[in-house]
Amino acid sequence: MIPGGRLGAGWVGIGLRAPHVSEILAARPPVGWLEVHTENYLGGGPAPRALDRIRREHPISLHGVGLSLGSAGGLDRAHLARVRDLVKRVEPALVSEHLSWSIAGGAYLNHLLPLPYTEESLALVGAHVALAQEALGRPLLVENPSSYLRFRHSPIPEPEFLAELARRTGCSLLCDVNNVFVSCRNFDQDPVAYLDALPAAAVGEIHLAGHAENEADGRIILIDDHGSRVSDEVWALYARALERFGPRPTLIEWDTAIPALTVLLDEARRAEAAITRSVAEGASRALAA
Amino acid sequence: MPSLREVESELRRALLGGDDAPARTRVRGDGLEPAARLAIYRHHVVTTLTAVLQATFPVVCRLVDERFFAYAADRFIQVEPPSGPCLFEYGAGFADFLAELPACRSLPYLADVARLEWAMQRALHAPDAIPLPIRAMQGVAPDLAASLTLSIDPSVTLLSSRYPIDRIWRANQADEPEPAVVDLADGGTRLEIRRCGDDVVFRALDPPVFAFRHALASGADLAGATAEALAADAAFDLGPALAAFFADGLPIALGRTPSTPGDDPCQSQL
Repeated sequence: MIPGGRLGAGWVGIGLRAPHVSEILAARPPVGWLEVHTENYLGGGPAPRALDRIRREHPISLHGVGLSLGSAGGLDRAHLARVRDLVKRVEPALVSEHLSWSIAGGAYLNHLLPLPYTEESLALVGAHVALAQEALGRPLLVENPSSYLRFRHSPIPEPEFLAELARRTGCSLLCDVNNVFVSCRNFDQDPVAYLDALPAAAVGEIHLAGHAENEADGRIILIDDHGSRVSDEVWALYARALERFGPRPTLIEWDTAIPALTVLLDEARRAEAAITRSVAEGASRALAA
Repeated sequence: MPSLREVESELRRALLGGDDAPARTRVRGDGLEPAARLAIYRHHVVTTLTAVLQATFPVVCRLVDERFFAYAADRFIQVEPPSGPCLFEYGAGFADFLAELPACRSLPYLADVARLEWAMQRALHAPDAIPLPIRAMQGVAPDLAASLTLSIDPSVTLLSSRYPIDRIWRANQADEPEPAVVDLADGGTRLEIRRCGDDVVFRALDPPVFAFRHALASGADLAGATAEALAADAAFDLGPALAAFFADGLPIALGRTPSTPGDDPCQSQL
């Protein structure tokens, strides 16, 4: 039985990064699933070959950074076709992308750039999500971005924008709890209110990661650098997310200053424990009621 | 109210080192100058793309040092940002860019070292291909052999340089604490770069073999490639050269030069 197509018993996965590939192939660590960046596997050679072997042992999530769902210039159909071919080959349990744009005027800017949240953006992203879902033959999970700027003209609050996108397209939401924390802190907003504004039933996956604190002109700006352990405040927000959404497949992401695999597995165990606690608390509340 | 297309176009300009004034007018300060908020994004774009180039061109980076590399990468990102999201495909134009950069004139071999590193990057990520067995040649009618073309393994690059770039590359590997001295007067080299299994390898070829393989890789037919090889060395012998070409696993498909339209029947024989 190839586990590629569905999640197994473990709720918590880790991001698969190049330095860990041979260790994961050799040791088969007890991890629920593995997430890879789609765009790293669209060529030939050793990387996709290793993924072919890994998917026989672990469910896979394909996490895209290149569809640029918010590009006013339209979706890159050739890129979408490459993603479709990879989805056919890997049979992933989850396929996700971002509420952002990265391509304008033929340039890929290698950043998940923010959108003004307007009716125009909602119609455009909705059309692109529908097109991608049609091409891939499955629903997408769309992730909330981490933001360092807001537009003057952006009348729709981000969680409402995501809720409406899910309602219109049937897509699921990937709630990156660290991104919620980073964006809300950067704009003096309440992250709990943000979570409360998301439609719980639409949330199909959660991301957790570390962030950095930078100073700009005397003001602290949180940077979503995926380069450290999940902060205590984000763990607390994660507990709140589990309480509100119920248990959800959860990913530990780590992209810069990548540590030993055991550190990621340690973070994954902590997330598993949070899910267990949340389920138990939910049951005891139900009994008390 | 600006259209989304306008907003994205203005941000693109600001992030690629152009005028950020239009983008600034779209951004809320939220306690900071809008320019400072745009700078956070610009910093990420430039540093991550520089890291991509550094990973693809480690020897170039070692030859010029990290600070100069960062300067060159910053300029390159402005004039030639990635055209798509697969960043293993980014950097095709970097060698030509370095060749034109006035500050690099004192290192005349630098652009060719970059071409070698780009060929290695291409090889690593090229589509997998199945070598064609030499018995495929048995079906070719003798009178059609001259106009035969061979598609080659897409991981292969045939690269010649006036400088000993293979020795420069080897002397500047990260595990070489003291780079060996390479004498530029040693002369140039003709390299075949490709992927074997999971590894990227390169080796120097003799002039006629290089001329033969380079011509075939460029789409020449057997007659044309043989003429190129003979021009490099009058003693070139087609039989062994063709056998070695197949034994190395380079050809992956047969074709014909399209010089004789309406002459289709041969296609079915190939």
